[in-house]
Amino acid sequence: MTAVSQSAKKKIKAGSFSLNRFGTGTQSVFHLVLAAFSLMCIIPFIFVIIIAFSSEESIRQIGYSFAPLSWSTQAFTYTFQLGNALWRSYFNSFLITAVGTLLSVSITVLYAYPLFRRDFRFRNFFNFLSFFTMIFGGGLVPTFVICKSVLGLSDNYAALIVPMLFSPFNVIIMRTFLQTTVPTELIEAATIDGSGEYSTLLRIVLPVVKPGIATIALLVSLAYWNEWFLSLLYLNKNMEIMPLQYLLMRMQRNADFLAKNSSMLGADAAKAAAQLPSQSLKMALVVFIVVPIACAYPFFQRYVVAGLTIGSVKG
Amino acid sequence: MKKFLSLILTLALILSVCSFAAADDLPTITIMFHGSNVSDDSAVLEKVNEYIADKVGAKLEVIWGTWGDFDEKAVNALTSGDKDVDIVFTCSWSSDEYNSYAKKGYFLKLDDLIEQYGADLKAAIPESLMQAATIEGAEGKGVYAVNGFKDTATQNTWDVNVTLLTELGYTVDDLMAKGFFGWDEIFAKAKEVKGDSFYPFLVEPMVAERMVTNSIIVAGDAGSTNLLSLYLNPEDVSADGIYGNKLVNKFGTPEYKAFAEQMHKYYEAGYIDPALSVGETSNDCRTNHQKDASYLIGTQSYAFGYEYSADVLARGAEIKFVPCTDPYVDTTASQGAMMAINSASEHPEEAFKFLALLNSDPTLMTLMNYGVEGIHYTLNDEGLVVFNDEARATYSPWTNGVGNVTILPDTAAEGKGFRKSFQEYYAGAKGIPSLGFVFDNSPVENEMAALGNVAAQYALALDCGAVDPETELPSFLAALDAAGMEAYLNEANAQLEAYLAK
Amino acid sequence: MTALQAKDRRRLGLRSFAATKKTFWLTTMMLPGAVWLLLIRYLPMFGIVIAFKNYRAFRPNTFWNNIVKSEWVGLKNFEFLKSPDTGIMIRNTLGYNLLWILLGLVISVAFAVMMSELTTRFLAKTYQTMMFFPYFLSWVVASYFVLAFLDPTSGMIPFMQKAAGQKVTNFYHDTTWWPLILTICNLWKNLGYSSVLYLAAITGIDTTQYEAAAVDGATKWQQIWHVTLPGIRPMIVILLIMNVGKIFNADFGLFYNVPQNSGSLYPVTQVVDTYVYRAYANTHNLGMSSAAGFLQSFIGLICIIGANSLVRKIDPESSLF
Repeated sequence: MTAVSQSAKKKIKAGSFSLNRFGTGTQSVFHLVLAAFSLMCIIPFIFVIIIAFSSEESIRQIGYSFAPLSWSTQAFTYTFQLGNALWRSYFNSFLITAVGTLLSVSITVLYAYPLFRRDFRFRNFFNFLSFFTMIFGGGLVPTFVICKSVLGLSDNYAALIVPMLFSPFNVIIMRTFLQTTVPTELIEAATIDGSGEYSTLLRIVLPVVKPGIATIALLVSLAYWNEWFLSLLYLNKNMEIMPLQYLLMRMQRNADFLAKNSSMLGADAAKAAAQLPSQSLKMALVVFIVVPIACAYPFFQRYVVAGLTIGSVKG
Repeated sequence: MKKFLSLILTLALILSVCSFAAADDLPTITIMFHGSNVSDDSAVLEKVNEYIADKVGAKLEVIWGTWGDFDEKAVNALTSGDKDVDIVFTCSWSSDEYNSYAKKGYFLKLDDLIEQYGADLKAAIPESLMQAATIEGAEGKGVYAVNGFKDTATQNTWDVNVTLLTELGYTVDDLMAKGFFGWDEIFAKAKEVKGDSFYPFLVEPMVAERMVTNSIIVAGDAGSTNLLSLYLNPEDVSADGIYGNKLVNKFGTPEYKAFAEQMHKYYEAGYIDPALSVGETSNDCRTNHQKDASYLIGTQSYAFGYEYSADVLARGAEIKFVPCTDPYVDTTASQGAMMAINSASEHPEEAFKFLALLNSDPTLMTLMNYGVEGIHYTLNDEGLVVFNDEARATYSPWTNGVGNVTILPDTAAEGKGFRKSFQEYYAGAKGIPSLGFVFDNSPVENEMAALGNVAAQYALALDCGAVDPETELPSFLAALDAAGMEAYLNEANAQLEAYLAK
Repeated sequence: MTALQAKDRRRLGLRSFAATKKTFWLTTMMLPGAVWLLLIRYLPMFGIVIAFKNYRAFRPNTFWNNIVKSEWVGLKNFEFLKSPDTGIMIRNTLGYNLLWILLGLVISVAFAVMMSELTTRFLAKTYQTMMFFPYFLSWVVASYFVLAFLDPTSGMIPFMQKAAGQKVTNFYHDTTWWPLILTICNLWKNLGYSSVLYLAAITGIDTTQYEAAAVDGATKWQQIWHVTLPGIRPMIVILLIMNVGKIFNADFGLFYNVPQNSGSLYPVTQVVDTYVYRAYANTHNLGMSSAAGFLQSFIGLICIIGANSLVRKIDPESSLF
């Protein structure tokens, strides 16, 4: 795969190797570029926090700004007043994300591993089975009908977890991770040792491909955490299990709808619009939504950037 | 493995026992409301189900759709033939298209049910509303939804900040005498007094256009931006307008050109907030400025009694709504809030009985709309409703979207005799000559999609004066022609002619 | 005991017991995913026919019955493509996607390589965390941020223009800057995400290869070229192929919310997804939105198969299938 000579490998075994890094000049350039872009990425979030602490009057007069005319914790006190509803929806989000991520990552890894094994007889068939659904789908309403009527996914946690359990995209990514980090010799060695398939997977392969699994887990948990459309579709009467994101999107969409139809709804629209939560409240909710997942990120990161010493096949 | 299986089995058994235990004699009917703000309906539903058990013979469950999610939920429920939703709100605006869904067969034809169970209903709502709900549907001509008796006429008004106006030294009469085309002076004065960042003209551009040119919305036209126009006679709404009963491309009329040019003058002079000219920012901008009355003149689609409502009173200035025309009854207003029965429903009779009861029985309507006496509201000495704000915050349906509001008791905020005055106000409203006409756009669907997109691209900016009509209007008209405006107009006029001939 | 030779076994059509056992166990691993796919993806696929039918409700009103009884209308639902705006929306969709696929690939790989080479691990991790933030924010929220920059009354750029005495650009009615603005927004949102994928792939590369290359006399840049890039080539190629498969799809939020749904900007912001959404709002034709989805899928399939075949000829290891 790479242009590395046998003699070089011998020299490494012998232990001769010098510090292998870019010079400080190049490193500084890297830092500059990355820092600039990173700042660009984090500033909008700081902006969101500023708006969340801006007073309504300020927003009404000068719109969103980095320097509001006056500050206020109104949005947050209002949010805490929502009391039980807020904590319940937080809990729902956590539960759905945790359970969903666990199940989804397991299913994904289980599916990706045989795909990675070139000696698996049905490799191409299952590959195609998964991949085809990335391109073609039945559409929103047919899927809704099957999920609701055939599978009984309606007004329950299952409805918010099951439709997202499997992603062909993640399967392909996982398979690619396996391909690039797990040498076939490892599998062969394990088979010769008499290890069963599940045993090989769990004992030998998983520890090696941890960065891959962590990455998939991160993507999946993000997807579950941000999901609100499933709630809109499947939650009609059981509002107890509503996640936080749906609450936010609903407010957003309420505002959008009233905007589009104000001339038809007339005075009703104006009255309803007056009842809508403020702009600062919307931003406060965004803060509530982003902070936990942002805190979870370093946890995943530990595994993703596992450091410089991975190589498990010596010699 | 064995343990796992037995666990599954146990779970299955428990679940089945639970469902048996919950089985009731009474069937359940589910109703989906629009625009609700309800987080706790347990107290209300308890009382409601007590009340309707004998009269309707069913148990009621409610899906409280909000402004933002009702459309998707309703479309899904109807398109997928979901038997778990029996009654659903519908209307002829937005995407709840009463007419197109009835044609597609999603709604049940109610004429037989009305004959059998609807005597009280027919007594409670005017004949004209029943007429308005009679359309061509999948099962032939008939009534496909129960029409809600609310403000049945449309009226557009200028929303005037009288406090500021007086401060500038003018009266409302001065304003109306000068008319839309003569307000430069007043706006200039306002900017002088209030400062450069003050925008005196707070319009909803599309509404302003209709008010100045006297054109009205045609039911069945593209929802996002209106393409067709029927011109109203501002002196007498039941007489023919300047173009007779013909539908025209309003963007091509001299009236529109004059309007757009004037708006552009106002915009360039800084009298109009630029945020009003862009789709997503428009409404937020308007609502914000309305809240603290930081405007001079605005537009408002009016409903009787609006000036006494909480949000107007909270603006902190004297507001007057000056009408452009008398209230007129058009198809949009008379099909503004209806309740249809899903053709997939397994209990259509019970569903209809509930609707008939809801729209004719004050007790049930008050329960559903205002809540439970003692919990959500109390009656004061005059017998007027006083809301318990805390409880009301957990239970606020969209009043006009529930049904017949005329049988509701008066609230303290509205004052005694309000409902009566309300009914009188709208009873006197005249209908436009083409009342009841709904444009069936299916023959020209693709043109409508294309035209809608073109209109969305140009109309708002032109209406608001944000772009120069000298250059943009001709491009707009050319693009409309290329997208099939002529075919669209011809089809619409043919249908209108046929309708009026009957 | 005389065991048959492998070739004899094959001649007799006997599969070794070990091979069957292996296949069996590996297949059981696929079961949860396969069952999910069948139930939630393949079962609803009958709905594709809606694109070719005039869907309405019949009696009795059940979804299945409706589909069966609705009449076939051939390609009529695809006629929305005859609109004069079709050329523009296709140009926008394809144009932006092609540009962004290439730009995104180059920049995110570059970032991933840079981050993997930093000696200050703490800073590298910080950059990675911060770069991922945009992915957490929805386009609606991001559009407020853009508004704060571009709003004609209170936005930062018009403010600076006024201060400098220049004419204020009416951003939401002027199409000039939007291709650049949209590109920046897209990169901002997705770079962090892609970089993480590439970075994870880089950490999976056997580090002895670097050391070996260094010993062989390779400079750092040569090492990147000969070890890192080839090491993540499968990942690059796979992501490239999948992006190509979505070439006819667009990120709705980016093209709808960020320009604040301004009509004047349609010539540079209208893509297939927004057009269908706006059209559906007017016509409520399930068949049309179904047809549009089908079209996007179909074109995506052709592109993916094409891209995959190309890749298979050059580097079979990295192909999708």
